[in-house]
Amino acid sequence: MPTSSRSSEGGTRRAAAAALLTPGLLALGVSFVVPLVWLARMSLNRTVGPAELQPDVSLSSYVDVLTDGFMWEVAWHTLWLGVLVTVLAVAVSYPIALFLARTRSRLRGLLMALAIAPLLTSSVVRTFGWLILLSDDGIVNSALSTLGIIGEPLTLTNNVTGVVIALVEIMMPYAILAMIAGFGRVSKDLEDAAGSLGAGRLRCFVRITFPLSLPGVLTGALMVFVLTVSAFITPRLMGGGRVFVIATEIYDQATTTLDWPRASALAVLLLLLFGVFLVLYQRLFRMVEGR
Amino acid sequence: MDRDKPCGPAPGGGEWPAAALTQEREITVVRRMSKKAFLPLLLAPVTALSACSAGGTSDEAGDGTTTIRLMAYATGGFKEKYIKAVVQPFEAANPKIKVEYDPVVSSAEMLGRLRTQKSNPTVDLAIMDLSVAESANKEGIFTPLDPAAVPNMKDLSEHAKVRDGYGPGVTFDNLALVYNTKAVTTAPTSWNDLWDPAYKGKISISAPPQLDGIGLTIILSKDLGGDYQTSIDPAIKRLRELAPSVQTWNPQPDTYTLVKSGKVHLALAWNARSQLQHDESDGALNVVLPKEGSIMQVNTINLVKGGKRASAAQTFIDYALSPDAQARFAAEMFYAPTNTLAKVDDEVAQRTVMTPEKLKTMIAVDWSWLAEQRAQWTEIWRKDVISQ
Repeated sequence: MPTSSRSSEGGTRRAAAAALLTPGLLALGVSFVVPLVWLARMSLNRTVGPAELQPDVSLSSYVDVLTDGFMWEVAWHTLWLGVLVTVLAVAVSYPIALFLARTRSRLRGLLMALAIAPLLTSSVVRTFGWLILLSDDGIVNSALSTLGIIGEPLTLTNNVTGVVIALVEIMMPYAILAMIAGFGRVSKDLEDAAGSLGAGRLRCFVRITFPLSLPGVLTGALMVFVLTVSAFITPRLMGGGRVFVIATEIYDQATTTLDWPRASALAVLLLLLFGVFLVLYQRLFRMVEGR
Repeated sequence: MDRDKPCGPAPGGGEWPAAALTQEREITVVRRMSKKAFLPLLLAPVTALSACSAGGTSDEAGDGTTTIRLMAYATGGFKEKYIKAVVQPFEAANPKIKVEYDPVVSSAEMLGRLRTQKSNPTVDLAIMDLSVAESANKEGIFTPLDPAAVPNMKDLSEHAKVRDGYGPGVTFDNLALVYNTKAVTTAPTSWNDLWDPAYKGKISISAPPQLDGIGLTIILSKDLGGDYQTSIDPAIKRLRELAPSVQTWNPQPDTYTLVKSGKVHLALAWNARSQLQHDESDGALNVVLPKEGSIMQVNTINLVKGGKRASAAQTFIDYALSPDAQARFAAEMFYAPTNTLAKVDDEVAQRTVMTPEKLKTMIAVDWSWLAEQRAQWTEIWRKDVISQ
């Protein structure tokens, strides 16, 4: 009796869960899965001549992309930019996140809101903001030259430097949010215990706080990395046509050269790349957690 | 089923096009058959009705007006000027036809939208760049025009004619140099002024795949005594020397804004929009056609294949190509007319490429050939020019 009632209860629960999940799954299916399937199908078509789309089932777009030396360069550049921005954004956000996770200040709510507030503005607007701040006669260059540090204005826009600066700032709120969530389980008691056993502040941070916060750091890093590698707006607006990443390449192929199969193939490859990094992240996460 | 025929009675005793009459006959046939099988009888009114409702309440209203949809540029003042100079006068002259302007940012995006509705197009006409239209022609998105329905086609310039009777050129534009009038005291006269050290760091060029950079490669090839179809190496070598002076290869938000604000002093841009920007900025920006000549950009007006209002759409095309409409749009926005009979004020003509001496300096471009090379040129630019 108890067994059967439990199983029927489980059945009801499962039915309820299915009913509750259905709208969400349907929405995801329509807005996410269907376009992805369409994209994958498009990548199998062929482009004939300049930009004539021909329905087909062929891997020629993939072969083209993978045998194109320039595409490998673009992919390498994208990864390099992703790693650099991730390291910088996480490094700059870590102290802020740790402080916000720890502080008992009454202003904590306000400070949290301030840290996340940039997300309220689109990254287009923020990139244009950086374009103005970093331009030859912008506030950064004029401050530096007034102080006599530089004679000629530094070229901080229309190149990769500008892209990195803007991307790091744009990614910070994501890194901070992800890390705060991950820091939740770093107990203050452990640090106190280490202190009472004679560890100095630095040692305490290196041996206790930092290792315990690693899962949060990893989550933040993954988030920033994925967002940076797929970032399109900032490299496009800030790069002055000199910064080529996979996302801008997809845009050019899709909207200017009109080679949709090639653009789709690139998008699918980028998605696979994300998959690889997701697996790596999970491995790393388990390693860190398992210690 | 041909939906050219509105559901109401022919207004004002006007006659329906032949296609509509054929449809009338088809319906009669269906009705006759239906005496034996009554399902078609039931369906006939339904299909007839749905033909009307699919056309939409806006397309074929009970009063006999037809609404055609025209897809064309959204930006740079094109929409406002085209509606004012061509669409509204057309509607006044053809009270039975309404035109709905469907603004799209670029030709490429237009092709994208037309591709997705290929089996059941809702758009009847599209004005887009010739190089993109060529692809759409080959993909069967557009259909050739009926020369009898578009008599103005015969008066078009040679540059405006498109193979196999597909949508012809409706506007001519050309690549030009624009400069900030405050920062630049002596107006540039030559493409070679780009290499003047005075402009170092103050130059903007939209690199390939944009047509600006492609056009510059063609112009330089000719200026250096060669031909772009033989070799672009000399042009690329010269561009490589220019690269360190270039501030941006991808002007944001656009060339005109950068030049007007003085962030950029000298830039490549398109004549028509630059002329408009010159007037709207009270002369902060000025345009010159360099003495070596330039390349022309052609916008074509195209009939969508499978469109349900082909006859009204071709009436519009013919109007758009008429000398009057062409002259009005030229006066509004400085696109040179493609109709050789268009009469334009001398002052307007001087600001377009339509004067004979300017037309002579234009370099003929084989857009189909170029479209094949575009990807390769883009790569050469990236490797050998931009990376410098």
